[in-house]
Amino acid sequence: MKRFLTTQAYLPYVGPISLWIVLFVISPLGVILYFSFLKVGPVGQIVPTFTLENYLTLFKGAYGIILLRSLLFAFGTNMICLLIGYPLAYWIVRYGGKLKITLLFLVIMPSWTCYLIRLYALKTLAGYTGLINSTLLNLGLISSPLEMLYNPTAVIIGLVYSWLPFMVLPIYASLDGLDPSLLEAAVDLGATPLRRFFTVTLPLTKGGIFAGTILVFIPSLGEWLVPLLLGGAKVMMVGNLVEHHFIKLGNIPMGSSIAAALTAIVLLIMYLSIKVGGEEALERII
Amino acid sequence: MKSWNKTGKILPAVATLVYLFMWAPVFILVLFSFSNNKFGIKWEGFTLKWYAELFNNVAVRNALKMSLTVAIITVVVATIAGTLTAYGLYKYKFRGKRALRTTILLPIVMPYVVTGAALLAFFTRIVHVPLGYPSILIAHISFSVPLAVFVVLGRMARIDWTLEEASADLGADRLTTWRKITVPLLLPAIIASAALIFPWSFDDFTITYFVAGVGSTTLPIYVFSQLRYGATPVINTIGTIFVTLPIIGLLLVSLLQKKEVT
Amino acid sequence: MENIPCVELRNVVKRFPSVTAVDHVSLKVEQGKVFSLLGPSGCGKTTALRLVAGLETLDEGDILIDGKVINDVPAHKRECNTVFQTLALFPHMTAEQNVAYGLERRKVPKNEIKRRVGEMFELIQLGGMEKRRPSQLSGGQRQRIALARSLVLKPKILLLDEPLASLDRKLRKEMQVELKELQREVGITFLYVTHDQKVALSISDIIAVMVEGRLEQVGLAKEIYETPRTKFIADFMGATNIFSGKVVAKTNGELQLQTEKGLKVIAAETKDSSKKITGISIHPELIEILPKNTGLKGDNNFKGKIVEMIYQGDFIETKVCLDQTSELVTVHLSSRQDREAQFSPGEEVLVHWSPESSNILLG
Repeated sequence: MKRFLTTQAYLPYVGPISLWIVLFVISPLGVILYFSFLKVGPVGQIVPTFTLENYLTLFKGAYGIILLRSLLFAFGTNMICLLIGYPLAYWIVRYGGKLKITLLFLVIMPSWTCYLIRLYALKTLAGYTGLINSTLLNLGLISSPLEMLYNPTAVIIGLVYSWLPFMVLPIYASLDGLDPSLLEAAVDLGATPLRRFFTVTLPLTKGGIFAGTILVFIPSLGEWLVPLLLGGAKVMMVGNLVEHHFIKLGNIPMGSSIAAALTAIVLLIMYLSIKVGGEEALERII
Repeated sequence: MKSWNKTGKILPAVATLVYLFMWAPVFILVLFSFSNNKFGIKWEGFTLKWYAELFNNVAVRNALKMSLTVAIITVVVATIAGTLTAYGLYKYKFRGKRALRTTILLPIVMPYVVTGAALLAFFTRIVHVPLGYPSILIAHISFSVPLAVFVVLGRMARIDWTLEEASADLGADRLTTWRKITVPLLLPAIIASAALIFPWSFDDFTITYFVAGVGSTTLPIYVFSQLRYGATPVINTIGTIFVTLPIIGLLLVSLLQKKEVT
Repeated sequence: MENIPCVELRNVVKRFPSVTAVDHVSLKVEQGKVFSLLGPSGCGKTTALRLVAGLETLDEGDILIDGKVINDVPAHKRECNTVFQTLALFPHMTAEQNVAYGLERRKVPKNEIKRRVGEMFELIQLGGMEKRRPSQLSGGQRQRIALARSLVLKPKILLLDEPLASLDRKLRKEMQVELKELQREVGITFLYVTHDQKVALSISDIIAVMVEGRLEQVGLAKEIYETPRTKFIADFMGATNIFSGKVVAKTNGELQLQTEKGLKVIAAETKDSSKKITGISIHPELIEILPKNTGLKGDNNFKGKIVEMIYQGDFIETKVCLDQTSELVTVHLSSRQDREAQFSPGEEVLVHWSPESSNILLG
C-alpha cells in the first residue's frame, strides 16, 4: 500500500478533490435520485417504500405543463439570446477595434453584479408603479398603468436579461479566434459577404454557439428566481416546483423527483451539445 | 455592396439597444438609491439618508459579515484546491483522469436549484452537517473549485515546464520548486480565479438559500427577505454597492495589469 | 592508479510506450573531456542525457558518477547540472538570482554566494548585467547566464542539451568557441548532446554517434569524421559518396574492392577486420577533379562527365557522372581549383582520390 501511494505521484494533487467530488457532488445527486423513488409520510419523514408516484405526478397534469413550459421558455430564451447575441458579438469583433475588450466587458459586467439585484431592478422598472409606467403616464401616452409583469413575456424577457452575456462571451471568443485569412481566401474565391458568413464564419463558430447554448439553455431551464419575481404564481417553472416542495412543503421525495428529472434533461442536453458542437464547445465554456 | 450598408447600420443599432437594455435597470436602481422617494421608485430629490440608514442597520451589517466571511474562506480554499487539481490534471496521466475531467464540470453545469436541493437533502437526511456556515461553505467551495481548476488549467499550457526541471537540476526538492517556481508562474491565473470566485460567492443567492437553514443570513438572503415588503430604498442602496464594487474591482485589476505590462 | 570515468553508463535501457529510446547503451566519459552524443532527431540522445540528470528513470542498467551508482538518487541530489535547450531561465528572477539559485538551495552563506556569483559574472563577461531579467538580455547573453547558473555549482559533470540550437549561424559559431574555451578554463567534464555534426566536431574530444537508441560508433572527433564505420554515419557526417561493394583482392597493405556496379576501388587496409566489409565512402573534399587528358599513375582514377555545378560560397558542389558505371560522384571543388581549371557542366574530366581517402564501411 505504501509503495502504491509513493509511486502514484499524482495522488496528493487530485486525490483530495476526487474525494470531495464523491462526497459532496456525486453523493448528494445520488441521494436525491434515491429519494425520488420514495414516499413522504404524514409527519414529513421519508418512508422507504419504492414508488413511482412522484414521477407520475410530475409528468402528468399541471406539473407536466410546467415542465413543458420550462423547456419551451429555455428554448425560446436560447434562440433569442442567439439572435441578439451573435450579431452583438460579431459587431464587437469586427467593428470594435481598440475598444473591443471594453465593449465586451460592458456586456459581461452586468452578469457580475448580484443576480438578485438585477432582477429586482428590472422588476421595479416594469412594475405597476415603476419608472416605465410613471413616465408613460406623465407623457400622457397611457391613461392607466400597464400590467407588464406576471405574464410569460415578462419571464422570457427576464431570462434573456439574465443570460444574454453568457451567449455573447463564447461566441465572441469563437469569432475572435477566427483566422482572417480564411475569409480573405473566400473573397479571393468569389464569395459574397452573405455567402462568406454562412459558409465560412458560421460553421467555424459552431463551437461558440453550442457553448453559448449550454451556458444559456441549462440555467434557464432550472430557473426559479425570474419566474418568481417577474412571473408571480401565475407563471411557474420547474425550478419553482423544486423550491416549493423542498422548502415550503418539506416534501423531499417529490422535490427530489423533479430535481432528478431536471438533472437528467440537463445531462442529456450537455451530451448532445458536445456531441454536435465538438470539443471546441467544451473548451469555450471555460 | 448594398447589404454592406445595411449591416453597417443595423449592427450598431442592435448593439446600442442591447447595451441600454442591460444597463438601464441597474443604472436607474443606482440613481434611485439617492432619491428621496419612500419606496425608491421615483425621483424626488437627492439624498444620502438611505445610506446613512444602511450603516445603522444591524441586520445588514451581520449579513455583510457573513457574506464576506464565506466569500473569503471560499476563495482561499477553492484557489488552493483548484490549483493543486489543475496541476495534477495537466502533468500526470492516471486512470480515471477522463472521469475526473468530466465530473469536475458537474457543479457548474447543474442548475442551482438542483445543487441546492441535493445538498439540503444530503445534509439534513444523510450526513447531518449543520446548516449555516458549514453547509454554505461546502456548497460554495464545491462550485468554486471547478472555476479555479479551469482558469489555472488554461494557463498551464502556456508555461515552460522545463523551468521546474531546471529547479530540480539545481538542487531544489519538490516542495521548494513548488514554492519558488511553480506558484509564482501560476500566480496570474490564481489571482484571476480568485477574482472570479469572490463575486460569485458573495453574490450567490439560490444555493445559499437552500442550504443556509434558519438564522443564517448572507447579504443576498437579506435582500430577498426584504423583497416581501415590496420596493424599499434599502434594497437600492445595497444593490448599488453590489453593482459598483465589482466595477471598481475590475478597474483596479485592469490598472494593475497595465502596470505589469510596462 | 586507474582513472575512474567521470560518468559511466552500463547497459542502460529506457523504454517508452511507443519506442525504446535508449537500447543497451554503455559508455565512459573521461574526466575533464568534452564528450558529445551525436545523432539524428529521435535517436535517444536527449533521453540518455536526461537519464544521467535524473529527469527520467532507468528501466535497466546502471549510471555511475565518479564510480558510484546513482540510479536511485533523485535529480535534485545528483552532482550534475543541466543546460537546457530552452535555457529555462527563471523569468521572474534577475540574472543574478538565477545564478544564485543553486547556491541558495545548498544553504551556502550569503556573502559566499555573492562572491561566487560575482566571479561567475566576470568569467562570462557579463559584469553589470546582474540586475537584468532574462527577457531583457540577448540570446547570447542568456546562453551565458544559463551556463553560469550551472557552472557556479562546480558540478562533476555539465550536461548540455543542444544549447546552441536556437542561435543564428554567426552567434552559434562564436558561442562554440567560447564554450570550448570556457570548458578548458574551468576543467569540468561536458556531456554534450547535438544533432549538428559541425558543432560536435568543433567542440568535442570524443564523439559517440547514436542511432535509434544504440551507439553506432565512439571515437575521437577526427576518427568519426574521417573514418565513419557505417553507411549511416558516413552519410550523417557528410561523406556522401557511398558505394556498396565487397573485397576482391588484398595486396601489401591495400584492399581492392569491387562496387555493385563494377567499379574497382583501392583502399588502404584497416586494422579492424573483424566485421564484414560492405562498402566504402569518400568525403567530397578529398576527391580531385582533373582535366581529361591528365596522365596519372596510381589508383582510383576514373573518367567522367560533369553533370551539375552548384555554387555554395566556399566551394562548388560538383556532380560527376562516371563513364564506366554511370554512378554519381560528389566533389567539393574549391574556388581556387575552379579558377585555375575553369571547369563547366558537360565537360569530360578525370576524378581521382588516394587509397587512404577511401574509407572502409563495415557491416
